[in-house]
Amino acid sequence: MTLSGTVPDGDCPSIRGTVPAGGCPYNRTAVSMADEVKLPRLGQGMESGTIVKWLKAEGDQVEKGEPLYELDTDKVTQEVEAEATGVLLKITVAEGEADVGTTIAVIGRQGEDVSALEGETAQAVAETAQEEGSPGAAREAERERGREATASEQVTEIRQPSGGNGAGARIKASPLARRIARERGIELGSLKGTGPEGRVVAEDVERAAAGAPAQPTVTRPAAPPGEVERIPLTSVRRTIARRLTEAWQAPAFQIAMSADMTRAQQLHAGLAEQAKEGEPKPTVTDILTKACAAALMRHRGVNALWAEDAIELHPNANVGIAVAIEAGLVVPVIHQAEGLTIAELAAARADIVTRARESKLRQEDLDGGTFTISNLGMFGVEQFVAVLNPPQAAILAVGAIEAKAVATESGFDSRPLMTLTLTCDHRALDGATAANFLRTVKAFLEEPGLML
Amino acid sequence: MPELSYREAVRDALSQAMREDEDVFIMGEDIAEMGGSMGVTQGMLDEFGPDRVRNTPISEMAIVGSGIGAAMQGMRPVVEVMYEDFLTISMEQIVNQAAKHRYMSGGQLKVPLTIRTQGGAGWSPGAQHAQQVEAWFVGVPGLKVVFASTPSDVRGLLWSAIYDDNPVVFFEHRRLYGLKEELAEQIEPIPIGRARVHREGEDVTVVATGRLVHEALAAAEEAEQQGVSVEVVDPRTLQPLDEDAIVGSVKKTNRCVVAHEAVTRMGFGAEIAAVVQHQAFDWLDAPVERVGAKFTPLPFAPVMEEYVVPHARDVLEAIQRTVQRDGS
Amino acid sequence: MAKVEQRRGVSDEALREFFREMLLIRRFEEKVEERFRAGELPGFLHVAIGQEAVAVGVCRALADGDVIASTHRAHGHTLAKGTHPNELMAELYGKLEGCSHGYGGSMHLYDVERGNLGANAVVGGGLPAIVGAALAFKFRGEPRVAVAFFGDGATNIGTFHESLNLAQLWQVPAVFVCEDNHWAESTPAKQHMPIEDLTRRAEAFGMKSMKVDGQDVEEVHRVAGRALKHARDGKGPVFLLCETQRLVGHYIGDPQVYRDKDELHRLEETADPLELLREKLGLSDADYEALDREVRELVEASVEFAKAGTDPKPEDALKNVYA
Repeated sequence: MTLSGTVPDGDCPSIRGTVPAGGCPYNRTAVSMADEVKLPRLGQGMESGTIVKWLKAEGDQVEKGEPLYELDTDKVTQEVEAEATGVLLKITVAEGEADVGTTIAVIGRQGEDVSALEGETAQAVAETAQEEGSPGAAREAERERGREATASEQVTEIRQPSGGNGAGARIKASPLARRIARERGIELGSLKGTGPEGRVVAEDVERAAAGAPAQPTVTRPAAPPGEVERIPLTSVRRTIARRLTEAWQAPAFQIAMSADMTRAQQLHAGLAEQAKEGEPKPTVTDILTKACAAALMRHRGVNALWAEDAIELHPNANVGIAVAIEAGLVVPVIHQAEGLTIAELAAARADIVTRARESKLRQEDLDGGTFTISNLGMFGVEQFVAVLNPPQAAILAVGAIEAKAVATESGFDSRPLMTLTLTCDHRALDGATAANFLRTVKAFLEEPGLML
Repeated sequence: MPELSYREAVRDALSQAMREDEDVFIMGEDIAEMGGSMGVTQGMLDEFGPDRVRNTPISEMAIVGSGIGAAMQGMRPVVEVMYEDFLTISMEQIVNQAAKHRYMSGGQLKVPLTIRTQGGAGWSPGAQHAQQVEAWFVGVPGLKVVFASTPSDVRGLLWSAIYDDNPVVFFEHRRLYGLKEELAEQIEPIPIGRARVHREGEDVTVVATGRLVHEALAAAEEAEQQGVSVEVVDPRTLQPLDEDAIVGSVKKTNRCVVAHEAVTRMGFGAEIAAVVQHQAFDWLDAPVERVGAKFTPLPFAPVMEEYVVPHARDVLEAIQRTVQRDGS
Repeated sequence: MAKVEQRRGVSDEALREFFREMLLIRRFEEKVEERFRAGELPGFLHVAIGQEAVAVGVCRALADGDVIASTHRAHGHTLAKGTHPNELMAELYGKLEGCSHGYGGSMHLYDVERGNLGANAVVGGGLPAIVGAALAFKFRGEPRVAVAFFGDGATNIGTFHESLNLAQLWQVPAVFVCEDNHWAESTPAKQHMPIEDLTRRAEAFGMKSMKVDGQDVEEVHRVAGRALKHARDGKGPVFLLCETQRLVGHYIGDPQVYRDKDELHRLEETADPLELLREKLGLSDADYEALDREVRELVEASVEFAKAGTDPKPEDALKNVYA
């Protein structure tokens, strides 16, 4: 039954050809405009997410496309937009983890009875009853719906019409667990149950009460002086930890070179001067990104992903820039960097870095990277080795530009040197390819004109 | 202290009562020369004579009914119904007459009758000779129902039943007749309506009756090895029920299993589960589990009988379900 | 001319007493019917109109210490055994002053002090207990007899056979009084038993049986006396068959659609034990009316007594379940 159409009584396909007292039963479903807001699958492998904060309150008007809530996924915390226009009638998962597909809110028309969705089965009962023409049965169904509406708890249960994923709706908790939670002021919904079928049992609540929640929370309680402060893992940090552990298992090797940044710095100064008002000023990083992107096109073997049973060579240089944010590290990607001018790279870089810092990155910003640049130069690091960003075959670690003594024909000179350390997945690359690539990067940095 | 079997303990209670009190006499089928089909009354004919150890015809209604009549005249008869399956024949006299005389007369009469009976599967007796019907009587106001599981319990409780002024349906379990225990010479009467904790534990309470008390104790041993501490409680009297002891135990352990040999559906476990659920709701960390026979008449073939009737492993599985975690 | 006859064993005076007793039962039962139809009596009721002679004849033959157990049609036996009409009427009205204190009603009338071990709503339900009571008397060597009243319908149920068998086997002092009114509710004798002479059923158990015209109170009294003596002397139980007539329906309000109305009228004319005794005694109208007045006053007073009685408190229902 469509949401938009209504069935004229005369066309009502009810039993016995007579239209029941309440009108055609099909219209009752059609008339309901309520949209269920379900937790979206924002990336491959995403099975659940944690709702961090609702940006709209119950009763607010919501426009399609407007940011509705903040969601913490494996990779990033991001805003999720509303997919319908209407009034935010009910938020059913206020906080905490929910599985993809779970109904977390309802948007509909002002004053609409949301319990209609809750009592989906009761409705069906009412429909049948109406069709049978039995007022008593219909009354019973009405009562049933009313009972179900009033029976909702802190976390309201909205039944899925057809065997949908019910997890995250009714909280299964033993009576004892509920009592302890009540007494200690702990939100049952924030707990992960270890009992059968995910039931929260007393032990789970006790553990939470003891201060080590199974579910991460955003706020960190201040630790009293002298005590060990346990920082619970956010979803982001857990993901980072997991991925880095994975990466550590790859057989990696590192090669290092230093690049004389004299010409790059001159280029930078020139470009910065030319930058228009309001436009992001190109930085040395942007020049570096350009150099890498160009080099990746020359050395396709480095623009690769390790795919377990194959090495994927990608046509475009999607360069990820490692950005440090409060929650940890994110690597937003500048796609098809090889085709962008330095000015365009600067704009792209400025955009993603800003959005990263404001936790406004989208999944597409994080997907598709083929190479990563990590720069700790601004922290004064001379040289470091970055850990691979799997499944990418290589990652470039860049240090600070420092004046160093360099041997020349006429003795020694001070030159601005920057270390370049390339970590490679030996399964996808070998030394020669990696070395040739890095030499090209160095060459581009030392003479940017070579990139033309 | 001498060791007495469960069977001998019953005989001891009957004999001592009959020695002390002329008003006590026993009657039933084949209890005299044969000493009872279970051998319980062996030797008693010699001691007390045929008037007080009375063989009866196969007339369960009259056996129970005449017991009622004598009891109403102030005697304390102990009548035997050979198999508890045959209580069905005397149901009318037990339920309509014995249970109700006091009430219907507005308190003018007492019926201090004890009806002893036995049952129990495990030897292929077939569907009409091994039922466990104790639950039926618990729901009849006016009756008391006792089900002892050890020699000391059966002796002390039978004594109390004989001297209770109400009709008592006294269940024995045939598989326990050989069970032995050291018992004092002097009978220690056990109050009707008092449960017994056989084994203390912390994690789960198993409430069991009859043969299943012993199965539960075996399961508790096994569970201990798995790190689960089990408390085993035997209500001993089903009506009146020692709710305080049972609920108190569950409030301590937060988990409950009920186990009996009778069919699970509408078995006495249902009543215990309801009482526990109601009085210890906020203490329960898991649903109340019930262990009982599967919903079939008792089959003859040993493999089928074994399958239908509950055993220690069923109690253990129920215990495990109460402490189970996802993924473990 | 008044006939004054001396009968062996029963004086005229005694017989007049019997008559008064029977008349009391008759008027009581009629009043019960009237009050029931007026909607004042809860439950359902079975009156013994037509069977008064058996009740009086047997009960007047009992000795102190003898006990009886009755049926659903128990008012006559209860009154004849000595329960005051006040207490009986109060019980029918469900009052605390009733003989069962409001707990029993018409079919569960108990007066243990007076040897009435209870009326029984289950056909044949009280017979085994009578065997047990007689057994207790025998155990203790007491010269007491236990008497069971029941109808011809009850001779078909298991407890009847088991009880007679056991009583005869153990030679207990019991008398089984069968009021054969030829009806088991709406089922005539022909439809519920394959034999006509119920003494054959006692014979089947080797039990002594006696037969008497249940509408002749004098005869009932005489034969009952013999039966009781037989049992009391330790000679074993007796089956006493009383041929009687139920001159009313099974229960109050029973239209008796199953009964031949002409036959009923004929019986009313010829088989009313009161009329028969009245004639035998040669009671004058004046005498009769005097007795009738006396008895009616008693019955009226019992209704007054009952109506003024105390209703039990609802929570009283929770008492007396256990001793």
